[in-house]
Amino acid sequence: MVNRLLIVTALLRASSVQAAEVAPRTSVVEADVLDTPHHVLTPGPDGFLNPLSELKFNPGLNQREFERSTLTALNIYDPLESINRRIYHFNYRFDQWVLLPAVDGYRYVTPHFVRTGVTNFFNNLGDVSNLFNSVLQLKGERAGQITARLMFNTIIGVGGLWDPATKMGLPRQSEDFGQTLGFYGVHDGPYIMLPIFGPSNLRDTTGLVVDYAGEQSINYMNVPEESSRHPEIFALRAVDRRYNTNFRYGQLNSPFEYEKVRYVYTQSRKLQIAE
Amino acid sequence: MLRSLRLAALLCGSLLAAAASARDIDAASYGYPLTNPFEATIATTPPEDRPTLPSDEDIDQKDYSLNLRPERAFTLPDNFWSVKKLKYRIARQDHAAPLIFIIAGTGAPYYSSINEYLKKLYYQAGYHVVQLSSPTSWDFMSAASRFATPGVSQEDAEDLYRVMQAVRAQHPRLPVTSFNLTGYSLGALDAAFVSRLDETRRSFNFKKVLLLNPPVNLLTSVNNLDKLVQTRVKGIDRSTTFYELMLEKLTRYFQEKGFVDLNEALLYDFQNSRQHLSNEQMAMLIGTSFRFSAADIAFTSDLINRRGLIIPPKYPITEGTSLTPFFKRALQCDFECYLNEQVIPMWRARSDGNSLPQLVDQVSLYALADYLHNTPKVAVMHNADDVILGPGDIGFLRKVFGDRLTLYPHGGHCGNLNYRVNSDAMLEFFRG
Repeated sequence: MVNRLLIVTALLRASSVQAAEVAPRTSVVEADVLDTPHHVLTPGPDGFLNPLSELKFNPGLNQREFERSTLTALNIYDPLESINRRIYHFNYRFDQWVLLPAVDGYRYVTPHFVRTGVTNFFNNLGDVSNLFNSVLQLKGERAGQITARLMFNTIIGVGGLWDPATKMGLPRQSEDFGQTLGFYGVHDGPYIMLPIFGPSNLRDTTGLVVDYAGEQSINYMNVPEESSRHPEIFALRAVDRRYNTNFRYGQLNSPFEYEKVRYVYTQSRKLQIAE
Repeated sequence: MLRSLRLAALLCGSLLAAAASARDIDAASYGYPLTNPFEATIATTPPEDRPTLPSDEDIDQKDYSLNLRPERAFTLPDNFWSVKKLKYRIARQDHAAPLIFIIAGTGAPYYSSINEYLKKLYYQAGYHVVQLSSPTSWDFMSAASRFATPGVSQEDAEDLYRVMQAVRAQHPRLPVTSFNLTGYSLGALDAAFVSRLDETRRSFNFKKVLLLNPPVNLLTSVNNLDKLVQTRVKGIDRSTTFYELMLEKLTRYFQEKGFVDLNEALLYDFQNSRQHLSNEQMAMLIGTSFRFSAADIAFTSDLINRRGLIIPPKYPITEGTSLTPFFKRALQCDFECYLNEQVIPMWRARSDGNSLPQLVDQVSLYALADYLHNTPKVAVMHNADDVILGPGDIGFLRKVFGDRLTLYPHGGHCGNLNYRVNSDAMLEFFRG
């Protein structure tokens, strides 16, 4: 009698556990139905949902799309590749041995709000060339927004040290002369790896020079003139720029980082120009 | 009567033992917002559902390097200069604390985003954290791997174990109270093998080992990943490649939006826009990233071992040499090709191996079934909709791990690791 009772309780226990195991599975299916009616995964006996089972695959003889896409994407005009690659390695070392230690030191000696202030200040200066290039591309709305940004940040933000405009819903939008040239249909030209500045191409290098010259001639808030007398302003700007750039050489962790950076740079410029 | 009572007790006991089944988390109480496995894999958890973590500036951390294979400084070409020593990252507490090793997933370096996330999570909970690259990562292959042909899990584990011992030797004064181990994806499989190795070598006596989304059958996982790039994607034709399609979508999305705002919410916003990606497109995207890893692995392994499959053994390489032609060749080799052309021949030559099924048995979790079944310190967390699993894999995990398997209903491949429920469970496991 006793053992029969024991068996019955054991069985009851087991069945309740099993029930508990089944219950969550049914609720998964329900949840899926609720969220996306077209996509229902039926669990297998062990609860596996097999997400690959509902994908549509190409027929066996037509499975080269990855290779086709990728090999096409690798074709970027790069006649100076050998020199570019050497400069890329130079930049990698310079970054590791000079720029990043400088950024670390900068981070060590300054509190966070000072660094944010420095970034805002140089961003505010940069808004001048953003404004000119927006005007050159006949983007009226954007030019208006940038003008408002310049006014608010320079006057309320005390010379650009604060960035009240972003909080007011006017986010920073960058436009440079390379983008302006691209907007009017100028092609990339050969890919160029600039020393220290990093990836570029003939069009964007030209843009960089024009933007620099423009900045010098406008001499907004007298900063360009002062930085030629005080090179430390220029150095601070360089460190600030590096501080705000997330890219690290070697971060793609691939023997083909050069190719990947080249592709990503080219495409992201295309996106910036289209936008 | 007594005997029958004993029998009954035995029967009852065995029934209860069988009932020590996996912890299935049900979807309703789990509340993970992304029910699509591909979306979860790419976007991971939305920012508002992640745990609060310390920022990098609040962590006492530093990168160190180990010179484990000094001969590679002479045998590797010039443009490998940055990976002739193995780097790793250590975040230290200012007091005696337990230490946790984190092993990265397929092709990922020690600073991969999931590694960084896990570092912050465990550092905040009071652990010293050591982040290690995956044995399939470019830097590990060149600087730490003896044969530079990752895939044979036992060999990879021995390489990793040496690295861990060297890390310990480099910080003799770090006050460590106990050693723990975790890894995600392929790193979890490595962690399981490292844990077993530690049972005999006893350098660490790991207190707890947690496997996050490990492959069960390595061949299944490899085949699944290879298959992902073969999905039929709408919109691809003779004049449009997959990347062009993606970029067009991105361009149109930005134009509709009016400005580029690259932040964490971008992905979710994109998936809610008109340009959102289909399952096939997302699968292709995931597969693409793995194919790039496969290309790196195939190329590096071939180059270091001078096999001549992708790059001629005596081809002169300087810092100015274009690697694009070899990249193109390596890209045509998926995981299966790497396995067939490089891993199997080496494995056969080194260990009298025979057939592919034998290799699969040796390098998958199957090889550790008895060990894992009888070792209560090892636990596993997995998702029912993980793309690297095949039918039967979860059944295997249930059988082997019993109640040490936590099965989440959603999350895709590692997408829910940074979900608050998961992070709590991870910390709780190591605390207990």
